[in-house]
Amino acid sequence: MPSAWDLWAVLIAALLLGWGWWRVFGGFPRARGPAGVLAARELAFLAAAADATYPEGGSALPSGTQAGIPAYVDRYVASVPSTIGFLMRLLFFLIEHATLLFAAPGGGGRRRFSSLNAEQRSAVLEGWGESSWYPRRLVFSSLRAILTMGFFSDPAVLRTLHLAAKRIESPVVEADLLYPAVGAHPSTIAHGPEDLGSPSGVPLAADAPLHPDHADPTG
Amino acid sequence: MSGSDRGAVRVFAEYERDFTEQADVVVVGSGPCGSVVAYELAARGKRVVLLEEGPPFTPQDFELDGAFSMSRTMREAGLRTTRGTVIPTMQAIALGGGSLVNSAICVRPPDFVFEGWEENFEIEGTRRADLDPHFDAVEAFLGIAPTPDEVQGQRNLLFRDGCDALGIDSEPIARNARGCRGSGECFTGCRSRAKQSMDISYLPAAIHAGARVLTSLQVQEVLTEGRRASGVRGQVVEPFSGRRSHRFQIDAKAVVLAAGCMATPILLSKSGNLANRSGQVGRNLQFHPGIAILGVFPEKVDPGFGATQGYQSLAFLREGFKLETLWAPAAVLAVRFPGYGHDLKTRLAEVPYAANWDAIASCHRSLGTVRPKRGASLDPILTWRFHSEDAQVLGGALYQIARIFFAAGARKILPGVYGVPGEIHSIEEADVLRTHRYAPTDFVTASNHAFCTTRMHGDPAKGVVDPRGRAHEMDGLFLVDTGIFPRCTSVNPMFTGMALAHRSAAALADQL
Ligand SMILES: Cc1cc2nc3c(=O)[nH]c(=O)nc-3n(C[C@H](O)[C@H](O)[C@H](O)COP(=O)(O)OP(=O)(O)OC[C@H]3O[C@@H](n4cnc5c(N)ncnc54)[C@H](O)[C@@H]3O)c2cc1C
Ligand code: SF4
Repeated sequence: MPSAWDLWAVLIAALLLGWGWWRVFGGFPRARGPAGVLAARELAFLAAAADATYPEGGSALPSGTQAGIPAYVDRYVASVPSTIGFLMRLLFFLIEHATLLFAAPGGGGRRRFSSLNAEQRSAVLEGWGESSWYPRRLVFSSLRAILTMGFFSDPAVLRTLHLAAKRIESPVVEADLLYPAVGAHPSTIAHGPEDLGSPSGVPLAADAPLHPDHADPTG
Repeated sequence: MSGSDRGAVRVFAEYERDFTEQADVVVVGSGPCGSVVAYELAARGKRVVLLEEGPPFTPQDFELDGAFSMSRTMREAGLRTTRGTVIPTMQAIALGGGSLVNSAICVRPPDFVFEGWEENFEIEGTRRADLDPHFDAVEAFLGIAPTPDEVQGQRNLLFRDGCDALGIDSEPIARNARGCRGSGECFTGCRSRAKQSMDISYLPAAIHAGARVLTSLQVQEVLTEGRRASGVRGQVVEPFSGRRSHRFQIDAKAVVLAAGCMATPILLSKSGNLANRSGQVGRNLQFHPGIAILGVFPEKVDPGFGATQGYQSLAFLREGFKLETLWAPAAVLAVRFPGYGHDLKTRLAEVPYAANWDAIASCHRSLGTVRPKRGASLDPILTWRFHSEDAQVLGGALYQIARIFFAAGARKILPGVYGVPGEIHSIEEADVLRTHRYAPTDFVTASNHAFCTTRMHGDPAKGVVDPRGRAHEMDGLFLVDTGIFPRCTSVNPMFTGMALAHRSAAALADQL
């Protein structure tokens, strides 16, 4: 027959477990990203990390979330082999929850990364990035690399930095009579010998029209 | 499928059942080395079947976004790294292999590289003069020529100016490109169709000469009959997902492995540890670790325009490094910017004023291994250790790049190396790059030049192949990718790989 103390102990343990679960997994918005691979909690972490890395203001460049980093990373994780995707998600989990063990500076620092205030998030990133311990720096640079790829996927960023791709008409070369697009049947090859051309060698003009994916939709 | 229609290409959508074919020679891998062999043998009237795991890419398949491009064209989504000292290293999975995504740099190594090969690895007949006819043949075929000034763009020409100011020899990079427009997007695929990657150069010629190029086929095993290689077998794989389906077998008088130096050792291991009495298969992995520095100029550079890599200096090869200009998708380069937050954004706003130059180092002391994973995967387990003396060589290279930047008028440089200032504003401040004692882990380095994992050696007990790529202990088995280099080339490896493959093709043709 369990004593009252045992019942109390079970109750307290359950509460602690529930609290721990909440600290790790609870309290996030519910929506998933466009590719539906990342959970809401991972997107919340990415939004926090994106804006800590690329905050709003300071230059003509947008913030991390304005550049659409979380949605981009969601699509990217969906596109890589599952083991690599798993490692990326582990990376997000690690940084999001490391501050539960190693508190961020300032009051209430023992919270998930995404629950910290902006200054604390910066301090945490600095801790990872400047660490004298190589594996910690590696974790930081891996996260930053993923966020940076997302930042530079934003056509507005590319246009601001004069890096948007130009429209290029690909001349038809002999190979185009041999191979269909990836996944298609050769019967879909639309070109014939009469279409053959050759690369022009004309330098791309600085004011050449942009590739449709990078052009400003508002004109 | 009939095995009789010569001179054709097959793609994933055409495989409906298991199949077998016969050939004189089966070539595994359509990278620069395999493609040269396939063409040279087909042109000599041999029945050639070339197998490639990746699909052909057309301009409409190219992704402008660096990360998504990598996840389509590269093995392991382009995120392959070594264990030990972590170094990212990419291998393509596409018709044309690395040539589809590389910068088309073609450099002949200087004589002292080949002298070193001969002296240290008991090799004969492999001096630069011996190989020059093979370099010449490849050069003529691909139209390899120095990058024209009109498509250099400022970020390449500033390098020239800096070198000139210091009296350092530099030159426009010779590339396998015809009609380059300076789009700087060699990494994601040349939409201008100027880069003479294998899929649009050697392979169409091989097909016209009668070769059968079968794509989306993963070779899983080399077949043998006694001491002789007799063919290969494997499975059809779906592009991008890698899902396996129908089985195939190609029976041939000779097997040529050109799967790349991180894949050929795996194939040999998975085929019953083939051709490995020397124990050297998968050992001696070497890289050219690379490091890039960003320099910011007072005037606009507009780095988005210009040939991907247009200028180089070979002046420091004997000191162990080569200097080049560099461009890649912005996202890939921006990974090198230090910091985060407003600092990072301020730095990024300077991108239109920036140029990026790099050094690749010859690191004979830094060695690694390629080992197979358990199970059906053909992805390698890579280990590598960056030797601390080689790290100092890279540090020396950083200092030289800094000098060139300041001589060209840069107002600051961003070395991106742990332990030295994130920004350096003058050549005096840059002295720290020369005096600093570097730890191998201080660098964010990367390398797509890999070699030596099935090295040639005159002594069968110490190497896997002879200088013509013939396996020492097997008949009818040739290895022709960059794995056969006994030591690194000190310059970009593709051209040397192709010249050696050109010579191997002649040796194999004589033997058939
Ligand atoms: C981004 C990048 C830029 C580079 N820039 C340059 C440069 O400018 N100049 C230079 O000299 N070098 C450059 N390099 C290196 C150069 O591309 C390689 O050294 C060269 O491609 C090696 O040629 P290879 O034929 O040995 O192997 P690869 O080019 O790797 O070709 C091997 C082929 O075999 C296929 N394969 C592998 N396993 C199997 C299997 N089991 N079944 C069927 N097929 C298989 C692969 O899919 C691949 O297509 C670069 C590399 C990269 C990744
Ligand atoms: S720089 Fe542009 S045009 Fe020139 S070869 Fe590379 S991708 Fe093609």
